[in-house]
Amino acid sequence: MVEALLFASEAPLSAAELARADESLDEESVENAVAELRGEYDQDERAFQIVEVGGGYQLLTRPEFAPVLERFDSVPATQRLSGPALETLSILAYRQPVGRAEVEEIRGVGAGGVLKTLQERGLIEVVGRGEGLGRPLLYGTTPFFLQHFGFRSLDDLPRPEDLPVVLAPRESAPDPQLSLADAQA
Amino acid sequence: METLELAPAARDPFEVDLERFHGPLDLLLHLIRNQDIDIFDIPIARITAQFLAAIRNMGRMELERAGEFLEMAATLVRIKAQMLFPRRAGEEEGDDPRADLVRRLLEYEHFREAARLLERAERERSRLFARGHVEVRPQPRLSELPLETGWDEVWEAALRMQERLAELRAVHTVHGRAVKIEDQMNEVVDALTLQRRVEFAALVARWGTRIHSVATLLACLELGKRSVVRLRQTEPFSALWIYRARERAAGEAEA
Repeated sequence: MVEALLFASEAPLSAAELARADESLDEESVENAVAELRGEYDQDERAFQIVEVGGGYQLLTRPEFAPVLERFDSVPATQRLSGPALETLSILAYRQPVGRAEVEEIRGVGAGGVLKTLQERGLIEVVGRGEGLGRPLLYGTTPFFLQHFGFRSLDDLPRPEDLPVVLAPRESAPDPQLSLADAQA
Repeated sequence: METLELAPAARDPFEVDLERFHGPLDLLLHLIRNQDIDIFDIPIARITAQFLAAIRNMGRMELERAGEFLEMAATLVRIKAQMLFPRRAGEEEGDDPRADLVRRLLEYEHFREAARLLERAERERSRLFARGHVEVRPQPRLSELPLETGWDEVWEAALRMQERLAELRAVHTVHGRAVKIEDQMNEVVDALTLQRRVEFAALVARWGTRIHSVATLLACLELGKRSVVRLRQTEPFSALWIYRARERAAGEAEA
């Protein structure tokens, strides 16, 4: 039953969502079934696997088939993000909720267009309003962001301490009211 | 003014960048890191000269982007000027005019590295394919829905309206009532003596003209009003069922 649900679903399904499909299922039995299926797929060397992504389970092909699938006509190439988009996303992922002014302050360039496109692609969303001047919109990442990067949760992000450039604790964080964009306005 | 000419179309941030640098901080970091310069002791005169030379060579650029680079150039020149003043005795390290720039450069570099790792995660994830390769589309926000109506849809709606108006006009050309509602009421009652219920579409199918359908519907409504039949429709435009009223009432009494 769990296998059928995972097979038919386009998006990752959480254990709770899977358990809702039938009265005989609960989260524990779903997790057991997933573990069992994983074992079977590994043993039989199936072309697909169950991957935990964005808080749910999803059937995905194994990476060794990527070269074939990427060349195959009817498989659309996954749209990769540009450098500016990735930089903006990394700021958002680590600092969320974040306003546009802080993103612009850190990157030293305007962020309006990138934020809009990221929002249109469903990777970020408005999560609230800041306290500063004009109550700026604050952005955060979406569950789809986790799916796009194959993260189980935000805890899967590379740890800031492991990055080549480690920042001092943010005690001298810039006042968002005095940041670049507001000064220009 | 040619260098400040606006790009013909808005830059798609997801397009592969033809220009190598994502902004003035990116360019500045490149200059510093490529020359193994100690970021805490930037030779500001040299870097400023290189930065200005670089943006001169960048050629045409959108107004906004050019502004971002020029703003950084101005910052560099200001720092350079401040550095020329002799240091007063007792001045602290924190008063280094370069300090704020260094903080910004390090912060930017931190996130640039994080972005590199995100890119790697994205690349690895893109090697795994979901069934059907259908990208899950983000749910449109309700507030954005009205904006999603394009001219094509307005045009189609106008065409549909025209068709409907044409139909209405066709109804108007019918003079007199070719079918009596009373006759149709009898037809409906007759149909329900054999069956407990009948579907409206099946009932009118044997005549096949619009005027019969209209008359039959009116007949059903009239019968419904007189509690001879009951009408049931689960949702708009779904099948309309006509029930014998008495039997239903009897069934309800049993239950």
